[in-house]
Amino acid sequence: MLPRAMEVGYPGAVAPARQRFVRSLGLRLNVVEWGDEAAEPVLLTHGFYDHARSFDTFAPLLARRHRVLALDSRGHGDSEWPDAYTWLADVLDVVNVLRDLGRPAHLVGHSRGGGLATDAALLLPEGVRRLVNIDGFGPPPEGHQAEGMRRYEGTIPELLAAFLDWRRTNVARASFRPSPSLDELAARRRQQNPRLSLEWLRYFAARGAREVEGGFVWKVDPYAARGFGPWRPEWIAPAWRGLATPMLAVWGDQPDTWGLPDPWRSERLGHVPVLETAVVTGAGHFAHIEKPGETAELVLDWLGRA
Amino acid sequence: MKLASGRGEVALHELRPGPGPTLLALHALGGSARDFAARAASWPGRVFALDLPGHGDSAWMRGGSYSPELCAAAADDALAELGDACLLGAGLGAYVALLLAGARAARVPGVLLLPGRGLDGGGPAPRPDQAVEVRSADALRMLEARGAKERAAFDPMLRACETDPRPPEYARAFADEAKRLLLAEDGGARPPWWEAARAAASAEPAPSDPAAALALLARAAAAPGRGPAPRS
Repeated sequence: MLPRAMEVGYPGAVAPARQRFVRSLGLRLNVVEWGDEAAEPVLLTHGFYDHARSFDTFAPLLARRHRVLALDSRGHGDSEWPDAYTWLADVLDVVNVLRDLGRPAHLVGHSRGGGLATDAALLLPEGVRRLVNIDGFGPPPEGHQAEGMRRYEGTIPELLAAFLDWRRTNVARASFRPSPSLDELAARRRQQNPRLSLEWLRYFAARGAREVEGGFVWKVDPYAARGFGPWRPEWIAPAWRGLATPMLAVWGDQPDTWGLPDPWRSERLGHVPVLETAVVTGAGHFAHIEKPGETAELVLDWLGRA
Repeated sequence: MKLASGRGEVALHELRPGPGPTLLALHALGGSARDFAARAASWPGRVFALDLPGHGDSAWMRGGSYSPELCAAAADDALAELGDACLLGAGLGAYVALLLAGARAARVPGVLLLPGRGLDGGGPAPRPDQAVEVRSADALRMLEARGAKERAAFDPMLRACETDPRPPEYARAFADEAKRLLLAEDGGARPPWWEAARAAASAEPAPSDPAAALALLARAAAAPGRGPAPRS
């Protein structure tokens, strides 16, 4: 498939033991698995612009006790691309993977995947036993202040007009400019995620990119980045008041562009009825990648109390 | 005619040829362009009606992603094809028409909102049965995918639009930008987004009789447009 991917290794990373596709809303979604199939299942959901193989160091640690599944979100990794994106369709994908599993599972999500996991637990409470949300509490009200990221400012009608303009000109032919090598792709990604090592990002890129004429591009759908019109997390966070599943909220103690600082974190988590919190020392937004051992211990302890 | 729209296509129907001002009609949830066939004669110019994504002769969205904003994107493609046009919308189509009249105010001289199915839930007070409704829509769509004998008139996932969480103030922001905003009032209950739009300075009540309301829209749109309400 990708011979280069086989050549790029990383300490502690273990490839999944099994792979299959699950259909959701007509799309073919990629699901990979580690661990004993008879063990209690845990479903992992990755963050925005990540993919299921970003769990290659974290999932094997959970797999000592669990059957661990990881989903490529629609438009990400090896899952198919839809015509368009909505938050709800992504949440239903998680619900449909749980249904396909046929038995209740734990849900562990990172970043955007943490938000999806939380909303999936709202939609399918009987299918989710315990929930872990790793720094997936939504962006700050004004969005993440990341270097080099285009920001869309204006009134709400202006924001919709900008979305309509972008869609009219770009959706049908959206594509990335190829990087000449995987190393360069990893280096470019590091500008967005400076806390992640180049060695890890090479491993990540080897599984999250494909070869095209002129080099390598991420497998992710460029349209997935553009969103779906004006959107504010505070419109959906209050619904967390209806959450029947206990949540462990995890974040790192290091400042990171992609995290959600207080007061917003406390405000959003204030809606969760049954909540425990845990802070991973020395980690930023990617606690499960930066400190996989410590994060896995926290998660295993929480799931063990089910 | 079929129009390219995003990664799919939508069907735009000419109901009344013409010279004269253009009217673009947007139907309610579960409806189609045909809903407007009888009303086209009340408009002094040419009349087009769009089958919203997942409805009528328009394609179902691959992956089942629907939102009022994505419906507005399809209507925006129709507007680009037709040039400046007044908008008529019912139910979900009324909400979509409001979004477009605010986001493309320079191209929409007037908009008339009619009651109808779609978007009577959501917002800050979602109905308690909405999660169940979304899951059943999803299940229906899975049956469709497996080749159920009777194909639904519209993609069941469109019912997800009912759960749209954007608050009434969101609709109000578009109402504030619209040039002429007419709301057909019959004393009946309206969803919170409609009530928010009704409170905008540019909003005016219209008769509940569609022919009379369309005549009012034609007159309003022909009159010198007033600018958007000043922002506070």
